[in-house]
Amino acid sequence: MNTTHIKQIICLIITLTFMTPGFAHAHKVIIFAWVEDGMILSQSYFSSKRKAKNCNINVVDGKGRVVHTGKTDDQGNYSFKIPENIDSGLVLNLDAGQGHRAHWKIPENELKVIPSKGDMEKAMAVREKLEQKPSVFKIAAGICIIFLLAIFLKLLKKKRDKNSD
Amino acid sequence: MHISEGVLSGQVLSAGAVIAVTGTAMGLKKIDYDQIVHVAILASAFFVASLIHINIGPAGVHLILNGILGLLLGFAAIPAILTALLLQSIFFQYGGLTALGVNVVIMAAPAVLVHYLFLPFLGRSSKLTFWAGFFAGLFSILFSCLLLGFALWFTDKHFFETSLAIIITYIPIMIIEGIITGFCVSFLLKVYPEIIPKKP
Repeated sequence: MNTTHIKQIICLIITLTFMTPGFAHAHKVIIFAWVEDGMILSQSYFSSKRKAKNCNINVVDGKGRVVHTGKTDDQGNYSFKIPENIDSGLVLNLDAGQGHRAHWKIPENELKVIPSKGDMEKAMAVREKLEQKPSVFKIAAGICIIFLLAIFLKLLKKKRDKNSD
Repeated sequence: MHISEGVLSGQVLSAGAVIAVTGTAMGLKKIDYDQIVHVAILASAFFVASLIHINIGPAGVHLILNGILGLLLGFAAIPAILTALLLQSIFFQYGGLTALGVNVVIMAAPAVLVHYLFLPFLGRSSKLTFWAGFFAGLFSILFSCLLLGFALWFTDKHFFETSLAIIITYIPIMIIEGIITGFCVSFLLKVYPEIIPKKP
């Protein structure tokens, strides 16, 4: 292998490493839910901002009983009346197929107290931060860790070979 | 392709973890000293490939590249895939730590299989090398989908339809991965033939 080929491979690796984050999209699914005027409203979408259409939602209470089921509309929205005789918080489970699942917990006290719009925006911002697209820093860190592990393995093998000699 | 936490039953997760640990130990034992750099480069490619996302239908799919890892690394692909999946799980919350073993089995077992199926065809002619790479990429995804389907089916028989839907969704990815693997293997054989392992 001559130096031209080595340069070609290095260029290819560098190009691929820095090109891919532009196309990168996390593909997690997210559900938000809040209480408004006796109704539970929810919004579901993938982290690429596509709406999670026609996805199953089931609502379970604190004892794990399914108290409500439904499907999101074309905008990824779904709303329903707060079920009666609820003595615990509720969990909305979204199933977008292929193992893509998300849930949102509504504590018992929120079912009685109407949260302000500011509180909801704050909660949504926290969740969105967790579901951010992968950063270049994380990708670079991951690759560095892989190569550090490889160096460690190489040293380990070298030491073992020396001992066996 | 990553199975999230809380989807599979405890038995399936445990079985996956045991198989993954055994496979990783075998893989680490079989890695040659000179092969370690190749393992690191391909593990990095695998780590990044999952971030290249293609929207098909209601959900998205992403590149996997387990075919090229398996074809070029054989058993050494198992620790490479384990490392990459572990880092994806920590940095990007793909899959999850409890489902790591199952995810490793789903992606690494087909990789090892295509190594033994298609490696003998590499280097015979440029056309045969491309097609060996193509089918290695295609079949690795197909086998991964089947394993994913089995994992879901063993957890709950109602997941049968989901399993079928996954295979159908991944058909375009099978073809794309086949083409990528075919071209990569052909290119590497021309410029860096040392990366191609000795035939089993």
